Amino acid sequence: MKRLPVFFLAILTAIVIGTAVGAGSLLADKVLDKAVDNSTGSELVIYGAVDRETIKSVFSAFLERHPQIALKYREFNSLDLYQYFLEHPDERPDLMLSSAMDLQFKLVNDGYAQRYSSEHTDRLPTRSKWRDELFGYAVEPIVIAINTDLLAGAPLPQSREQLLALIRNKDHLLDEKIGLPDIKSTGIGYLTWSYDSQLSRTYERLLEAFGIHHSRLYSDTRSMLRALTRGEIFIAYNALGSYTQAWSQEHPWIVPVLPTDYTTIVLRTAFIPKASRNPAEAKTFLDFLLSDIGQQLLTEHSSLIPVSGGPGNDSGSPTLFGASHSLLRPIPLGLELLLQTDTAKRQLLFDEWDSAMPHLSK
Amino acid sequence: MTRANPSIRRQLLWMTLLVLIVINGFVAWSANLYANRAARLSYDRLLLGSVLQIAENINSLDGNIVIDLPRSAFETLAMAPSDRAFYSIIGPDQHVLSGYTDLPDIPFDDLDQVRDQGGQITPFFYNGVYRGEEVRFLGVNKQLIDSNSSSDIYIVVGQTLSARQELAKETNWFVLRFVMLFFAVTLLLLMFGIWRVLRPLQRLRKAIDERSALELKPLILPVPKEITPLVNAINRSNTQLNSTLERLKRFTSEAAHQIRTPLAGLSSQAQNALDEKDETQRQQQLSHIVECSNLLRETVNQLLNQATLAHRFQSQPLKSISLDRLTKEVCRDLVVWALQKGVEIEYSGKVEVEIDGDDFALKQMIRNIIENAVNYSSRQSVVEVSLHVEHGKSRDEVVLRVKDQGIGVSDEEKQHIFERFYRSPNSQQPGTGIGLAIAKEVAEHHHASFRLRDNTPRGLIVEVVFPPVEVTAS
Repeated sequence: MKRLPVFFLAILTAIVIGTAVGAGSLLADKVLDKAVDNSTGSELVIYGAVDRETIKSVFSAFLERHPQIALKYREFNSLDLYQYFLEHPDERPDLMLSSAMDLQFKLVNDGYAQRYSSEHTDRLPTRSKWRDELFGYAVEPIVIAINTDLLAGAPLPQSREQLLALIRNKDHLLDEKIGLPDIKSTGIGYLTWSYDSQLSRTYERLLEAFGIHHSRLYSDTRSMLRALTRGEIFIAYNALGSYTQAWSQEHPWIVPVLPTDYTTIVLRTAFIPKASRNPAEAKTFLDFLLSDIGQQLLTEHSSLIPVSGGPGNDSGSPTLFGASHSLLRPIPLGLELLLQTDTAKRQLLFDEWDSAMPHLSK
Repeated sequence: MTRANPSIRRQLLWMTLLVLIVINGFVAWSANLYANRAARLSYDRLLLGSVLQIAENINSLDGNIVIDLPRSAFETLAMAPSDRAFYSIIGPDQHVLSGYTDLPDIPFDDLDQVRDQGGQITPFFYNGVYRGEEVRFLGVNKQLIDSNSSSDIYIVVGQTLSARQELAKETNWFVLRFVMLFFAVTLLLLMFGIWRVLRPLQRLRKAIDERSALELKPLILPVPKEITPLVNAINRSNTQLNSTLERLKRFTSEAAHQIRTPLAGLSSQAQNALDEKDETQRQQQLSHIVECSNLLRETVNQLLNQATLAHRFQSQPLKSISLDRLTKEVCRDLVVWALQKGVEIEYSGKVEVEIDGDDFALKQMIRNIIENAVNYSSRQSVVEVSLHVEHGKSRDEVVLRVKDQGIGVSDEEKQHIFERFYRSPNSQQPGTGIGLAIAKEVAEHHHASFRLRDNTPRGLIVEVVFPPVEVTAS
């Protein structure tokens, strides 16, 4: 079992090397400006909780193939994206991209998505799509990022148990040095934390340890990683694996850990709203994103991890989704996600969170 | 072109096909019902399971309602993998505590009612349309009992129907495939069965085809019980045909003989007359020739009459006729002819009788009986004809009686006089020997019978006894 995470890391590494070699210089906004001049062309509006830098290579490759389309991308925090979508029924986009599976799922369950199926969507494994309305296009392992300077020769913790032991050992050294995603303001933060609460035997102790050490909250993985680099924190819990891996290439002392008790896997999902004004363009883009080329672009030119496991591997991504080992725990794309969106459940979790971290409610 | 004869094979096939279609149609229809019901029940159970798990995790703590939804409740719902699901947990004042706030038409009254009747958490299922899709809802009322108060909590969970429909379709298709297979196999078996059952008929046809045109021997074939009567009927008809043919043969040869003999006599007497020089002798011979040819003409007439009657019996339906009028007519016709022979015909009938019969044939019969009586009567005698009703023990009979005072018929001869061409050996009278035979045929055709008795002091009484009919005294 020890070899699997190694194998997985090797894949991540390969992805990141690809990114370094092939990253295009085109920015989505620039492409947009160019495309607006094209008066005969059509429009495609995408709202996403994906870092613009990360997805831009896919956008530019798409625009090269479809120069008549003017692509407009608007970036949100995943929770903001959900709320904006609901609060602005007149401004619904043509495609929704987000890693907050539960929020995406809720929108689809509530009937905001339209059905679509094509050879590309049909190729997706059933656990990566729902009702032909919601489609997973990339996977995201949730990792612990650790500044190795902290260790001072101690071994890198490989599981949550070992992390707790490390926190116990370093004790005062880690006061205010642990970073967490803010579960109240970020969708992905709440999703991963609530999943931990359902799955982990160490959840209570983690919560207690984080509280005792006055953990800091961050609104996204990038700011958490920046704080890690600056030495503001030593440990970042529940960081997005793709960003962390890319970050660690530039800052080798920051290491992503895939916990061996279990590693949560989040699907980055996309759906086409019913209110889409350019559904044809949205479908074209979705097909491109799910095609071999699109998935390969994700592998080579972004830090995202394709859902299909890349070209030549139609059976999905065995290293990520394999049921053969207990390391990886994909959050199922199904009705279970409704629990994450339940307000009462959310309040219970917030109550636990608040009582464990009194320093934050000051 | 007239319609083709109906084929038993085709009729059987159509009938079995019809029956099979009806049966299979019924089976398919009930399979559809069953499939829908089974799918509804199984997914309703999932809904119920989910609701029960949710209900278990709603509790009252220090007067506060605590809702901690279990993941398993949603995992249960997720067993319908591509159905949307909705839930709502509603407090005592119908204020939504968690979940969807806009579920349609929640039947709070029904939920209260089933709770009152069935106790805690009795499920109430209903259908509704929510967010553009038909949804199966399940609601329960859970009463939260605290130390000093109780409050009604409503839990409603709904799910879209595609998994149910999918399951129903699958079950239905599964059964339908069986039905189709069953249909095909049954049809084949029945076709085989029909072929087997009808095979003896084929054999019978072949056996009849293979016989020569004049072969009328009984068919002896191994056939099923149901076809045995047919074979028997064929055999019986053949036997009758055979005897008819035999009779016809005998009749033809007798008739030929009866005609040939007087012809030969005529020929030789004519020859004699040619050769005769003596005028008186020749006169005598010539008058003899005339007599012979008269008799011959009579014989031929009778034969033709008989043929005519035989034809009439087959072609003419019986009509209602007056027997007394007919008898009187015949008597009138014959009275002059009889007087020439010195015989008086006397009619004494007092009844009017209507019977169903063939007037031509009956006239012929009465005529032949009276002629026969006159022919055998001596000069200056009377032939009495009468029609009356005899009141028998069990029934009334109409009797036509002809009495003569001739030489009479011996008891031994009585059984022969109705045979065709029978001539009494001690008869001096010329006759054809056909008249009474015809009379008997006509009588039989009218279900009447003959009675012969001796007259006193001498002579013969011939009685024709008709079956009972309506009679009015005149």
